[in-house]
Amino acid sequence: MVPPSADKPLLDDLQTLLGDRARAEDFELGLYGKDGSVLEGRPAIVCLPINSEEVRCIVNICGDHKRPFIARGSGTGLSGGAVPVGDPVVIATAKMNRIIEVDLDNRIAWVEPGVLNLDLSTQLKGLGFHFAPDPSSQQVCSIGGNVANNSGGPHCLAYGVTSAHVAAIEVVLPDGSITVLGDLTAEPSGYDLRGLFIGSEGTMGVATKIAVRLTQNPPEVRTLLLDFSDVRDGAAAVSAIIAQGLIPAALEMMDHRAIEVVEAFVNAGYPTEADAVLLVELDGLAGGVENGVEVVRRVAEAHHVGEVRLAADEAERALLWKGRKNAFGAVARIKPDYYLHDTVVPRGKLVEVLEKVYRIADAHNLIAINVFHAGDGNLHPILAYDSREPGVLERVHAAGRAIITASIEAGGVLSGEHGIGLEKRDYMGMLFTEHDMATQDLVREAFDPEGLANPLKILPSGSRCSDSFGQHVPEGAWV
Amino acid sequence: MKKVAVKLGIDSEDLASCVSCGLCLPHCPTYRVTQEESASPRGRIALMRQAESTGLIDQTFVDFMDACIQCRGCETACPAGVPFGSMMETTREALTQQTSYQSWWRRWGYRVLGCPNILTIGSRALAVLQRLKLLPSKLALPKIPLMQAPLVPSGEDVWLFTGCVMDVWMRDTHRATQRVIEAAGAGVRFPDKKAACCGALHVHAGLGEEARRLARRTMSAFPGDAPILVDSAGCGAQMKEYGHLLNTSDAHKFSQRVLDVHEWLVNHLDELPAAHANPPRIAIQDPCHLRHVQQAHDPVRVVLARYADPVILDDEGLCCGAGGAYSALYPDTAAAVRERKIESINRAQVHEVASANPGCLLHLQAGGVRVRHPLEIVDDLMRKDI
Ligand SMILES: Cc1cc2nc3c(=O)[nH]c(=O)nc-3n(C[C@H](O)[C@H](O)[C@H](O)COP(=O)(O)OP(=O)(O)OC[C@H]3O[C@@H](n4cnc5c(N)ncnc54)[C@H](O)[C@@H]3O)c2cc1C
Ligand code: SF4
Ligand code: SF4
Repeated sequence: MVPPSADKPLLDDLQTLLGDRARAEDFELGLYGKDGSVLEGRPAIVCLPINSEEVRCIVNICGDHKRPFIARGSGTGLSGGAVPVGDPVVIATAKMNRIIEVDLDNRIAWVEPGVLNLDLSTQLKGLGFHFAPDPSSQQVCSIGGNVANNSGGPHCLAYGVTSAHVAAIEVVLPDGSITVLGDLTAEPSGYDLRGLFIGSEGTMGVATKIAVRLTQNPPEVRTLLLDFSDVRDGAAAVSAIIAQGLIPAALEMMDHRAIEVVEAFVNAGYPTEADAVLLVELDGLAGGVENGVEVVRRVAEAHHVGEVRLAADEAERALLWKGRKNAFGAVARIKPDYYLHDTVVPRGKLVEVLEKVYRIADAHNLIAINVFHAGDGNLHPILAYDSREPGVLERVHAAGRAIITASIEAGGVLSGEHGIGLEKRDYMGMLFTEHDMATQDLVREAFDPEGLANPLKILPSGSRCSDSFGQHVPEGAWV
Repeated sequence: MKKVAVKLGIDSEDLASCVSCGLCLPHCPTYRVTQEESASPRGRIALMRQAESTGLIDQTFVDFMDACIQCRGCETACPAGVPFGSMMETTREALTQQTSYQSWWRRWGYRVLGCPNILTIGSRALAVLQRLKLLPSKLALPKIPLMQAPLVPSGEDVWLFTGCVMDVWMRDTHRATQRVIEAAGAGVRFPDKKAACCGALHVHAGLGEEARRLARRTMSAFPGDAPILVDSAGCGAQMKEYGHLLNTSDAHKFSQRVLDVHEWLVNHLDELPAAHANPPRIAIQDPCHLRHVQQAHDPVRVVLARYADPVILDDEGLCCGAGGAYSALYPDTAAAVRERKIESINRAQVHEVASANPGCLLHLQAGGVRVRHPLEIVDDLMRKDI
């Protein structure tokens, strides 16, 4: 297809650089318009670079043409961060997927941003190491995406989220220069620009190489599945386990509907009649782990647990986790679309907020499903719906807003790990004052004065005067 | 690019069931070797949606659809239960009927599969050319037999399906299968020429009419109700889907009689000769149509474990790149996919690999892998003195 005439000179420049790895075919552009959220946009051009130098040149060409650009990893983001709005050039990092160097002495690996999270850990398995952040999407999400969203995962309860596992990042800045933020020493001097970049969702440039810290595989791992006939007992057990001074490697919760859909997919023997289950993992030295198992068992019994199932071997453990990690997708067995929130509430308020979530969903005639990182109070209420039902989106949005309000009122925050992106951008005002946001905007502007790096994301438009783009999440972006 | 009108006719519930989570991507062989969204299950489904909603397609759409191996690894990986295989088959059939998607030479090639006489003559001609060293070596064909003795029936307990290319090129595998079944105490009978081809490749190519014709013909070759055993994973998968394909009660009944031969053998293991003391390490390559379509890959492990020490490959059943006619149509992608499989085989550190599908066997052999059908291995080992 001939591109719109405005794009032609830009496409020519990009094709001179990348050959057939700069694309503007109609059918193909549509494939880079969505991520894992319910938003959709459309790129002007898609570029598939294979190294840092190509990324640098693409960003320079975009600068010459004053055209926004947006980095994309595996497109599994849940907040529309990788959804192209404002006719941008998509820079897809999928082909930049080499593990460049593994340095066991310093426990560092340099990787390209398109390396898939689980692929890295699989490659390191024989060496006895892994990359600790393990989003449930870990089999497919990219390390570049993890860095951009400062992603978490079940095991981040004990190990910390992505920012704790990234030492340095090579970045192509929005002005087309290339630099390394952070270094490999334990206490880098000066401002922690690495820390600033992590979680910036592609608004401060494109990560082209990442030095990740490697974590030793624990000598002993035990996984328990606890079932409860009342979700409130399960939630109370979560706080009680942590109150014992025990920090499990992971502490996940699923409610009744989640258990049903997950079991339909994995056949792992999840108790489909339970109101809630907790998946608890303990790791470390054998003695400590055995002790932890007993503590968990005692606390669970005090909270009316049904069965305490201890995974017998690695295969059973893997199967239980496979269920948990596929839960979002499995929700499609109930309804074809879902809208997922990511609020964090104080652990002590879990029961209260969960009950509100169910009430809100009922009031809006929607189905709520909860599967979440209970240990750190990170809720993932899923509203399942069918976008083909007329009027359903209004109800979904109203319910979403009510859930966020309830979480913030309980002393929580907007997003635990999925990022703000496009989807939660307009909720920022519920948490931050105008002044807060204007200050954040100044930081962003220091990196990207022209406003070309993933524009319209994170901060509501209007928080910066120079913003020339639309006022709201663009019409038609919700699918 | 020129657009043409097409109605794919995919069930709208199926089309809506993909939530774009991307969890299938790493399990898709074509995505793994290209890292392109257009070569991923999520991308292909999005393309189908675009085509259905606009009613228009162009050549890029056709190319993207044609480059899918139809291994259905994405179906096993998909937590939402998206029925990708049937969506792709529907798409291809619509393209075949409404556009010039399948060229005359491809159609002709598929047609020949259902004609045993032409196939035998053609194969003999190839065998002669091969012996005169007149075939380009890059075709990577196995040693093609010049003449083959017929298969000899030994009873009426079970049927053994023989198929098209497999029977012409790999009849010795059928003989080994027959010996193992007989050792398990059953007599084997063979169908006549009406069961010349199961029609799997035709379904994959979108030649639905031809596939249904072959299915009806094949069914008529298996009177009675003895179990129908299949030692080719691709054919077995197809014959188990006749019920769905023809949607008649006879077809459903027929499909229920079809078993992968290993599924039958696991229930007759005790009748086989005793196991050995020092079983050799053998890696198992799960054919996609056994693992992802029939979900019958475990029986192969159980049967082989009686005589060997089976090693499971660490690539979670990722396709080897054979894909029926795929390796001939897309030799470069097929070879790149195979390279990943070979790396996994190398990590397993074995001397030999077992694969229960003729297409995978030929494709892996062409890549230099030492591989045989599991029952050829079993046949060998069970007859060896301890
Ligand atoms: C089933 C499912 C489960 C999930 N579970 C979790 C979970 O447990 N925890 C969690 O935290 N998240 C989870 N997520 C969300 C998502 O997987 C993570 O946010 C992930 O890190 C995104 O990676 P990606 O490669 O898909 O990034 P994309 O979606 O492609 O992009 C995400 C953001 O990163 C930016 N970006 C991507 N690459 C670069 C780069 N190289 N440089 C600069 N910016 C870049 C993009 O512009 C965008 O803003 C889940 C998603 C799904 C679908
Ligand atoms: S096919 Fe299944 S696994 Fe793949 S993106 Fe769609 S819902 Fe997710
Ligand atoms: S059938 Fe195989 S090649 Fe085709 S999309 Fe699914 S996983 Fe990929």
